[in-house]
Amino acid sequence: MNNRKLYDDFSELEKQTNRSVEQINKIKEKLMNVIERNAELEIENQHLRDRLEELEQQKQSTGNGLSKSRKNLEKLYEEGFHVCNVDNMYGTRRLNDEPCVFCQNIIYGERHA
Amino acid sequence: MKFSIKRTAFIQRLTNVQRTIASKTTIPILTGIKLTLTNEKLILTGSDSDISIEAAIIKSDDNAQLEIEETGATVLPARFFSEIIKKLPGDTFSLNTFENQQTQILAGKSIFKVNGISAEEYPHLPEIEISQKITLAADLLKKVINQTVIAASNQESRPILTGVHLTIYQGQLTAVATDSHRLSQRKIPLDINDLNYDVIVPSRSLIELARMLPDSSEKVELRISENQMLCFFDQTVFYSRLLEGNYPDTAQLIPNNSETELEVNANDFLAAIDRASLLSHEGNYNIVKLTLDPKQQLAKIYGNSPEVGTINEVLNFESLTGKSLEISFNPDYMKDALHSFGQTTVKINFTQPLRPFTLTPSENQSNFIQLITPVRTF
Repeated sequence: MNNRKLYDDFSELEKQTNRSVEQINKIKEKLMNVIERNAELEIENQHLRDRLEELEQQKQSTGNGLSKSRKNLEKLYEEGFHVCNVDNMYGTRRLNDEPCVFCQNIIYGERHA
Repeated sequence: MKFSIKRTAFIQRLTNVQRTIASKTTIPILTGIKLTLTNEKLILTGSDSDISIEAAIIKSDDNAQLEIEETGATVLPARFFSEIIKKLPGDTFSLNTFENQQTQILAGKSIFKVNGISAEEYPHLPEIEISQKITLAADLLKKVINQTVIAASNQESRPILTGVHLTIYQGQLTAVATDSHRLSQRKIPLDINDLNYDVIVPSRSLIELARMLPDSSEKVELRISENQMLCFFDQTVFYSRLLEGNYPDTAQLIPNNSETELEVNANDFLAAIDRASLLSHEGNYNIVKLTLDPKQQLAKIYGNSPEVGTINEVLNFESLTGKSLEISFNPDYMKDALHSFGQTTVKINFTQPLRPFTLTPSENQSNFIQLITPVRTF
């Protein structure tokens, strides 16, 4: 092998290495983008999950349970007071703790416009 | 005033009129009964200022044999007067009023002299110049009253709920009463189409009216003014004051759907509830528990008194569908409701353990409905 051939081979190797470095840089850059995107999506996903949970909780409170204000009325009612205002009875004692259909309609009834 | 009349016919009218006359009243003259004699008839008037009754005996009534000698009017103390008339000897008596309002009652060999009051001092009955009238059969009106008054409140502290809410709209009469624990609603069609009314009649008035109404399909005429209701039947005019105020909206209380449905014979169920209430009446909480299990086709009733004991009964029923349910209620309300149905099958519709349930006759479900509010037990 003469010197000239050796130099040519070395030049060739240098070009190849440069190309590889270039490729590595490109891949690295792409990887960075992907990692960033992944982080963004993870955060977004977390937000969505939180929101979903919130919605489900709301749904539960309007479906099975009662809203906060109705719970308050229910508490008053269970303590033995009228929460309806038929014949100006709001806040008066329920006699013998007998049930009141008007109060129950206010607490458990469907919402009327 | 001078007349003679058959005692039995007179007593019959007198007892009706006397019912309204209170022994205690703020207006002293209202403890008296007013007698008015015209050329055609004898009119008996009694009033307690809420209810007033005018009952007439006409000359042509063969049962009464009314002989009119001299027209006039007077007011006599009702309690003494009716006791006297009831205890008089003989079939007929005659009554004669003198200038000074002293009244002589003659029967057989007995002569009573009673001090009367001038009829001019008697308050005027409300005059109603309303010609629009509602005509319906006496026995039907009686039924409507008896089916609804059971649910009206008897607590003075709830004035509006002591009344029965009568609405006439588009040729239909709706009567609703509720004491807030239970509710009863009856609808009947009327012959008229162009009249609309929305009034609250004291249930006490209606109970009195129902007592007097004949058990026949004889026509009864109703007239309604701003603050009075009038009822004409059988030579009688019944006046009742109306309650002032707004009746609460009850239409929204009646549930439209149901999740558990039970169909039972009203009398059988009534007997079972009656048995269960024997024990529940003992305790502080007058409650019986109904357990319904449609999957196993089982309906049970349970009553309990901590001191005395318990009762368990498996119910007979026609049908049971929907979700299983456990519900507690006051057996007395259930008994009142079932009484009003008579011998028939009732359909009981439940929604949730804490929501009111309804009873309707299996046939014709929209005309008559009873609603009961359950009791929370957990």
